[in-house]
Amino acid sequence: MKYESQKVSFWFFATCMLLLTLQIVYGFIMGFDRIGLDVLHDWIPFNAARATHTNLLVVWLLTGFMGAAHYIIPEESGRELFSVKLAYIQLISLILVGVTAIIGFHFNWWEGRKFLEIPRPLDYLVVLNVLTFLANIILTMWNGKKHTTTGIVLVMGLLFAALLYLPGMIWFDNQTLDSFFRWYVVHLWVEGVWELIMGGILAFLLIKLTGVDREVIEKWLYVIVGLTFLSGVLGTGHHYYYIGAPKYWLMIGGIFSILEPLAFLAMALFAINMYRKAGREHPNKLALYWTLGCALTSFVGAGLLGAAHTLPQVNMYTHGTLVTAMHGHMAFWGAYAMLVLAIISYSMPLLTGRKIYNNKVGLYAFWLSNIGMLGMTVALAVAGIAQVYLERKYGMDFLAVQKEIEIHFVVMLICATMFATGIGLYIANFIKYGGPVGQVTEEGDNYFEEAVA
Amino acid sequence: MLSKNQARTFFVVGTVFFTGVFFYLSYDTVVNHVDKQTNSQNMSAEVVRGKRLFDENNCMGCHTIMGEGAYYAPELTKVYERRGPDWIDVFMDDPEAMFPGERKMVKYNFTKEEKADLIAFFKWVGEIDLNGFPPEPDKGAFASTVITTTGSAAVEEKPSKWSLCSACHSLGGSGGNVGPALDGVGNKFDADYLRKWISDPQSVKPGTAMPKLPLSDAEREEMVEFLSKLK
Ligand code: HEC
Ligand code: HEC
Ligand code: HEM
Ligand code: HEM
Ligand SMILES: [Fe+2]
Repeated sequence: MKYESQKVSFWFFATCMLLLTLQIVYGFIMGFDRIGLDVLHDWIPFNAARATHTNLLVVWLLTGFMGAAHYIIPEESGRELFSVKLAYIQLISLILVGVTAIIGFHFNWWEGRKFLEIPRPLDYLVVLNVLTFLANIILTMWNGKKHTTTGIVLVMGLLFAALLYLPGMIWFDNQTLDSFFRWYVVHLWVEGVWELIMGGILAFLLIKLTGVDREVIEKWLYVIVGLTFLSGVLGTGHHYYYIGAPKYWLMIGGIFSILEPLAFLAMALFAINMYRKAGREHPNKLALYWTLGCALTSFVGAGLLGAAHTLPQVNMYTHGTLVTAMHGHMAFWGAYAMLVLAIISYSMPLLTGRKIYNNKVGLYAFWLSNIGMLGMTVALAVAGIAQVYLERKYGMDFLAVQKEIEIHFVVMLICATMFATGIGLYIANFIKYGGPVGQVTEEGDNYFEEAVA
Repeated sequence: MLSKNQARTFFVVGTVFFTGVFFYLSYDTVVNHVDKQTNSQNMSAEVVRGKRLFDENNCMGCHTIMGEGAYYAPELTKVYERRGPDWIDVFMDDPEAMFPGERKMVKYNFTKEEKADLIAFFKWVGEIDLNGFPPEPDKGAFASTVITTTGSAAVEEKPSKWSLCSACHSLGGSGGNVGPALDGVGNKFDADYLRKWISDPQSVKPGTAMPKLPLSDAEREEMVEFLSKLK
């Protein structure tokens, strides 16, 4: 660690661990509902569990991105954070708003638009909060000694993510328009600007972990985010096929969204090639596992499994079935959850001074969570495909179909248990690191620069 | 070989160009198409209130509508056509009574007006031109496995409140399967028994899964007459 103020990111990461745990608890509540064990229904009906599950996911990922920014931006700008106090105020207020929203969900206080359930009054607080965060980060960079591509891409991603929250706050009476602009948020986040954030963080990690020349890495970073927007912006059309928008979206959405996997493929190839180019192995093996794992799994979960149902002819049948849930899990896990876990694995030894680089617990955490998630995805895929055939093709009644596919949720819950065990081990390691007491050193944490010197 | 500057140009130009096209198409969609495809002239105050109720209670947290939402409960785009307004009105008062022993929905205490708003909303949504969604099942090929649950309100010779019964009972091969098929029920029971049964199933057979349905005297008589003729 090079700058004292980078330590604030520890508290962002600790919050991530807490919210991730809660998210998984709510995932299990829904999983049990689906196999008929719905004893909690009177207090936590399925819709409350679901809103909590997905909002916790989004909040912990955003908290992780913010933690990453507080770690990366000082280093990429060559100076301390603009204000450490502001960072703490922002984190605490973010938690307060989040907790209020989640308690509200349990008392039927929400907006009922998928992924944008947070009620309007709280939306304004979220905006205020994110503005605080952005001000702190941008001021840090503005007055910095240097301006790197990695830093700029990351901050641009965060800035546009904040801007794109706004279309989700407009009131519409027309269900079609409501849905149309809901995708401005949901799609243009995960298949647009969040990929800028992903590219920025991955580039930072690869620079640190492989020692490959920054110029080379940053050049490819531009190519990747270029591909992202080339395909992803018009790719939004894959959500406009069947919601009351004109037919030309079938053509446009189909053509551009089928190209979206290219960006994820480029990300995977890029990460692997940079790893191959590395002259010498960085000792932090766990960070390397999560970094490469993220690049590969995002290609499978977002790229391949997204492409599987993105053509209008297929989507006609899979739209709004468990096939979507299958893709949603693996895509969020591979692209964004693993990304946050990667930056945490990389920065924790530097933040706390405890060099947990390659222990058994960490390796088990990696493999159990990944194999568990793969199993969950397969179980959901089988359930989804069966649902598509029975309900959409043969015209069987919804509830009758749900009975037929119940068994796949038993399998899913077994795999989820494996997944949760992996996450448990990850958190055990996190706790083992202890608090943020890392030494600030002149060389910072650049293993390769150190080696040269 | 590509230089960093060229890579940056590729990113900036590509992004600006495709974002421009996307905004243009969004504009065209909103201004020139959505009103027509969604019949926005039919969006009465009732429909809009219905949408608000749908949102405020997060019905999308269990159901999909236009294919968006959660995958725990039936797709609602065509529910008006499938079940009919009478059935939805009765169903909302006590969802469990209509689906005994099934997956649970939340029991809301909506007023008559609120239910009417929701029903108006469902009717409007059902009429949106969704480019062919939801797809028609391929019934011909798998006729034997098909269990249809259409409320056959449209068929003239059926009693006016038949949609209340057809969600649970089939007749002539179409309808629900919660209760027994009603083909030939006129041979089994006389009009008096049917009248008593329909007025209050619990008093005839305590613990039965058939709920008491709100029918006026005239509607009940029409029903009894119809059932008695099913021989
Ligand atoms: C906790 C989950 C849940 C919530 C929340 C929920 N529903 Fe349902 N709903 C169900 C389930 C499950 C069914 C299937 C029938 C049953 O088992 O009761 C259903 C069935 C229905 C049906 C009949 C569909 C059919 O084709 O038979 C309608 C209409 C309906 N719900 C409307 C609503 C409305 C309106 C709301 C919001 C005010 C809502 N639901 C909220 C779970 C839910
Ligand atoms: C929620 C589902 C449900 C609805 C709605 C419903 N029924 Fe029933 N009905 C049942 C069940 C279940 C039985 C079997 C009862 C038993 O034997 O305990 C039954 C039994 C019957 C029987 C006796 C059939 C036999 O062969 O024994 C008749 C007649 C009948 N229902 C008529 C009606 C009519 C008319 C309506 C509409 C006004 C109606 N039902 C609505 C569930 C329903
Ligand atoms: C990291 C990137 C991605 C994430 C996190 C992600 C996540 C999700 C989620 C959560 C949904 C459900 C959204 C909702 O219904 O509100 C969804 C839907 C969808 N995704 Fe992705 N996705 C990603 C990338 C992709 C890519 C690259 C493609 C195509 C190649 C794709 C294709 C689709 C399609 C077609 C749907 C609509 C499914 C339906 O009609 O129900 N996704 N995605
Ligand atoms: C480990 C235990 C988990 C279980 C049992 C679980 C279960 C579920 C269930 C049952 C749903 C609802 C699907 C429906 O509407 O019927 C859901 C939704 C969702 N979960 Fe999970 N989940 C778990 C972990 C995760 C993780 C780790 C992630 C992200 C990395 C995640 C991301 C999502 C997303 C994005 C959705 C919305 C999907 C969509 O709308 O298409 N879940 N989950
Ligand atoms: Fe998308």
